[in-house]
Amino acid sequence: MTATMKTATSGKTTCPYCGVGCGVTLTLPCSTNEAVPPVSGDEDHPANFGRLCVKGSSLAQTIQSDDRLLTPMVDGHPVAWESAIETVSAKIAQVVKDHGPDAFAFYLSGQILTEDYYVANKLAKGFIGTANVDTNSRLCMASAVVGYKRAFGSDTVPCNYEDLERCDLLIMVGSNAAWTHPILYQRIAAAKQQRPNMKVVVIDPRETATCDIADLHLAIKPGSDAAIFSFLLSDSVQSGILDDDFIANHTNGFDLALAQANESTLSLSFTADFCAVSEQDLTSLACWWRDTAKTITFYSQGVNQSSSGVDKCNAIINCHLATGRIGKEGAGPFSITGQPNAMGGREVGGLANQLAAHMDFATPGALDLVRRFWQAPNMATENGLKAVDLFQAMEEGKVKVVWIMSTNPMVSLPDTAQVRRALEKCELVIVSDCKAHTDTTAMADVLFPATGWSEKDGTVTNSERRISRQRGLLPAVGDAKHDWWAICEVAKSLGFSAAFSYQNVHEIFAEHAALSTFENNGKRDFDIGHFAQITKAEYDSLIPVQWPVPKGRPEGTKRMFKDGRFFTPDGRARFIAITPSLPKNQASQEWPFTLNTGRVRDQWHTMTRTGDAASLAKHTAQPYVEIHPKDAKRLGIEDKALVRLTSPYGEVLLKAKLSRAVAFANVFAPIHWTQQFANASVVSNLIPQVVDPLSGQPESKHAQVQLEAVTDICYGVIVSAAPLVLSDCLYWCQVPSEQGYHYEVVWPNGQTQASLKSIDVEQSQDSAEKAEWLEYSNPLTQQIRLAKLIDQTLTLLVYMHPQPESIMADWLISKLAIDTSLSIQDRLAILVGTPANIEDKGEIICSCYQVGSKQIEKAIASGVCSVDALGVKLKCGTNCGSCLPELKRFIPIVTELSA
Amino acid sequence: MPSLISQSGKRLVNQTDKRRLVIVGAGMAGSKLAHDLQQAYGHLYQITLIGEEPKVGYNRIMLSSLLASDISHADMALVDTQKMQDDGVQILSNDPVTSLNLEMKILHLSSGQEIAYDQLVLATGSRASVLPIKGISASNVMGFRTWHDVELMTQLKGSQPICVIGGGLLGLEAAVGLMKRGHKVVVFHRSNWLLNRQLDEESAVLLLNRLKEMGVEFRLGESPESFLQTDGDRVSHVVCQNGDQLAVSLVVMAAGISPEITLAKAAGLETNRAILVDERMQTSRADVYALGECCEFNQQTFGLVAPIWTQINVLMKVLVGEESAFVIEPTPTKLKVSGVNLFSVGKIQPSAEDSCIFFKDVSANHYRKLVVNDGLLVGAILYGNVADGSWYFQLIQNKTNVSDILDLLVFGEAYCCPKVA
Repeated sequence: MTATMKTATSGKTTCPYCGVGCGVTLTLPCSTNEAVPPVSGDEDHPANFGRLCVKGSSLAQTIQSDDRLLTPMVDGHPVAWESAIETVSAKIAQVVKDHGPDAFAFYLSGQILTEDYYVANKLAKGFIGTANVDTNSRLCMASAVVGYKRAFGSDTVPCNYEDLERCDLLIMVGSNAAWTHPILYQRIAAAKQQRPNMKVVVIDPRETATCDIADLHLAIKPGSDAAIFSFLLSDSVQSGILDDDFIANHTNGFDLALAQANESTLSLSFTADFCAVSEQDLTSLACWWRDTAKTITFYSQGVNQSSSGVDKCNAIINCHLATGRIGKEGAGPFSITGQPNAMGGREVGGLANQLAAHMDFATPGALDLVRRFWQAPNMATENGLKAVDLFQAMEEGKVKVVWIMSTNPMVSLPDTAQVRRALEKCELVIVSDCKAHTDTTAMADVLFPATGWSEKDGTVTNSERRISRQRGLLPAVGDAKHDWWAICEVAKSLGFSAAFSYQNVHEIFAEHAALSTFENNGKRDFDIGHFAQITKAEYDSLIPVQWPVPKGRPEGTKRMFKDGRFFTPDGRARFIAITPSLPKNQASQEWPFTLNTGRVRDQWHTMTRTGDAASLAKHTAQPYVEIHPKDAKRLGIEDKALVRLTSPYGEVLLKAKLSRAVAFANVFAPIHWTQQFANASVVSNLIPQVVDPLSGQPESKHAQVQLEAVTDICYGVIVSAAPLVLSDCLYWCQVPSEQGYHYEVVWPNGQTQASLKSIDVEQSQDSAEKAEWLEYSNPLTQQIRLAKLIDQTLTLLVYMHPQPESIMADWLISKLAIDTSLSIQDRLAILVGTPANIEDKGEIICSCYQVGSKQIEKAIASGVCSVDALGVKLKCGTNCGSCLPELKRFIPIVTELSA
Repeated sequence: MPSLISQSGKRLVNQTDKRRLVIVGAGMAGSKLAHDLQQAYGHLYQITLIGEEPKVGYNRIMLSSLLASDISHADMALVDTQKMQDDGVQILSNDPVTSLNLEMKILHLSSGQEIAYDQLVLATGSRASVLPIKGISASNVMGFRTWHDVELMTQLKGSQPICVIGGGLLGLEAAVGLMKRGHKVVVFHRSNWLLNRQLDEESAVLLLNRLKEMGVEFRLGESPESFLQTDGDRVSHVVCQNGDQLAVSLVVMAAGISPEITLAKAAGLETNRAILVDERMQTSRADVYALGECCEFNQQTFGLVAPIWTQINVLMKVLVGEESAFVIEPTPTKLKVSGVNLFSVGKIQPSAEDSCIFFKDVSANHYRKLVVNDGLLVGAILYGNVADGSWYFQLIQNKTNVSDILDLLVFGEAYCCPKVA
């Protein structure tokens, strides 16, 4: 690594955030002490051609985190890797011996690399003997996987990003791509600008930023998506746009699917009513659908995170199959993933209902094939536990050891209280992470320090099946190790040395490629046999390529299903008969509001990385809930006020954001804030563990909640040089800042100057006598503001006000811990929150009229030449006259100067 | 026109057909009135200015600066008396008026001179209050009112122990002035905190600490028990209430002032604490006016210069027959001690219906307290940084509604002005 650092000045890698998978160029600092310069987009990468969104652009800010996990920890104590590995493997061996292999589980992540995924999957399914390998991808695209598999016989994304630019109609369903997949959105927006005839339709209960480019927005009733597409299927028949040849030669099940669609969407008015959209809008969509062969349906979590997510996917796919709008340029059902390597996980089979390399346990011959390939002694033979089931089994005591990697289930899985109970019950919780403090590392018995982005080395696959290298350009921090290394070490410790003795990561990729092509012969879509003998040099210079990449086709595959051949036993795609259904829980008197969840523009997942970039906190500093103004008024909730959301599973405190983007009786909350950033805003507290019966994907975008204004409170802002434990606050949110610590807080009423002064008592290293306090108190506005200085240096600012107020915290933060003592203006300004544009009067000469030396000099410079004239101009000296002597002295002084 | 011949048959000085306006008292009010009136209406009036002090037309406010040697004698002039005389103002100094005959419209001066007037203005000022303390009339117990007082103080050589009685504006200015001259000064103050009419306790503590740093000593909440005279008519010791005896070579009385109304009272003008005047500055007698520290309007007397300047403007208009009426407005107070900045105006002790906004930066000696009532600023104390004093004063004077700027009010004009505009 050091050698690399000396020779290379920059390197290409891929962004660790969303599923677009943009190429990133990272310039290396000259020495390890220097900060990494801002990254840029890789102009050669086909996902982004040099562009980066704000999150990607801020990656350099997230590299030097002060919260890295630097060493393995067992029960809170740092230990050597050998010892931690031994602890883990001994416990795994014991529970497997005593309770069987299903007492162990991996819970992985779409952020680990394909090679990490591969060895984890291999260890569990082939050597320990359990299929309890699930991942946070379960939460993001499991429904899309099952939808594709039901229709195509394989988990195959048919389209590519160019199709988005070449289609004439883009139907975006359940996607706020403008914020969640910004580079794709920008490519779409640019294409639409170039070809104004290209139509964009957004189907989303919310009016999101993505609607900016939409010709039509269908603000459907939450979860009613499938009815729209069932209606389009019926309408396609009536309007005569069916591709009869395609249906006849390449599909099965059309009649049943159509009959079901007809039955469930009886009429335009029925469907419009079911989806709560206007007939006119639905007709517009239908007309455009009829007239536009080159149509892409682009869908994401809004479709997938649903109790009927798989059916929604198939309702979409049905329409494309019926009209033959698949396998062609600018046409197809296009699922967009949320994570950088959700696709890679799917490819290795790193999910509980997959075996390996796009083979399932039920795939005839697959089990034997994989056993022989791996030379596996303990093959799992049936599906393992999907995420929610896994944590329920953990709570029931069935799963006794879990190894969690690069994910934060305490925040991302539904019903956090259940997840907590499960992890508390679990006998050994192993967490591999690059961060020391997450809501999940807090639950761990063993912590493994993982390499983070820019250090870890391997491959990822983006939403268009493109495999790219994520490169280890910087040396690992502390004792951090690659995840694949840690897994292999545990495997070796368990006695599986022969199968896990990889010297280098490319060997894992080569094995993964070899398995994909092993006895494949075109039967399986996922074949990257071209890489089965890849060398380290080839691996390190891998050019992004779309799979399949079978032997002899190194250029990969841009688009799938061009030949109308699918991966079902008979090669025909399947129509699925769909009955549109609404989310499982519906509004009741007790829980009258429907909560939708999602993302904000500048944060990603649980902020473990984006939370390190202060600039990314500027867009949305605090967790919030979008409420329709009418609902807010009825409940007495003001904009920015604290709101309590309650569901049968828990509660959260969020700041109200009044917005007509949400429908009446609907609310929206972003999912990012963890207990590391806010004490009471983990939105998954509210979400029921309702899952799609086929995919096991939770209905995380839907919960029934109650809403109330929190009363008898006051609001505040705290800026501190040191981190604080804010136990007196009802609510606090730490807003990432360039320096120091910025908290937005809410206290229960009854705070006093004295109580606020003791806010940092636990943390303060300085004796109370050394503290200088600056105080502002205003009973008329119920404001209290305090500043604490130690040795003339600002260390703490506390603002309290009865209503939410916007304070320029950035400016206040800039005053923290500055070396020079604060000016007299700044000593005032730090309690105002903003610098005043104060004229520097100089030393006050006339105290009656507060006229200062600089004003007088200025007046004289402008031609005033007597004391009387000064009095006329500035009033100085015209009251008590006690300054007249000094005024007189000014006249010659300045005249001399100017002479 | 009244006769120009007095009853004694003596020819009066003035023989023009101008109206004879006589001003008794050549302090700040009288001198400035004479000066301004001569400037504006010299063609209508023959002005006579009579003063009991040898020096007239000086700026009494500057006495403390003079005592502290911050300024020179040349800086003391309030008006140019030489020019006034050249312009025709008759100035009679060092010649107190001994009696006034309202019927005859004649004044008798201590020199024996008699002066007739058509219109009379009393500007007799005030004197240091005399407290009922044993020994108060001793020769080394003095006030701090006149240039002469300052001359006596400056004659005191070496480092002498001095007691100043009264921790108000005057007392503190005297104390600091004397301290700066090298004397060892102890201030007795009856109230528990200094400038108790201008400051609250918290700001007074800042002032106290500052003055202590400068070297002045204080006995707060305490009046002297008595002045011990062991050396003839001179006080040698001030006896404290706890029996302590402080050796002194001088006692300066600065515990309040009393309007000088002896002449008016004897002449039969209506008086209370001071000479009663109406809003036109007219006394109970037509053609007799009073202004300055000797007058009383609406149960109020005046010790600060600003309202007195207003009174002069009112009276000048009244004299030439224009409509004008004096209105009492809050007046800001400052302490003329270099290195100490304080500003106080209006109501500073809140009552139940008032609210106080505070800014405190004690270690930087910066303190602000604003008293607000029903959307109006009614009082302000500033200590340390007084830059916004005149702005607060304007807000009070103009009765500006500050309801919309309550959150920024205490931070001053620079923050609030965009909002007010």
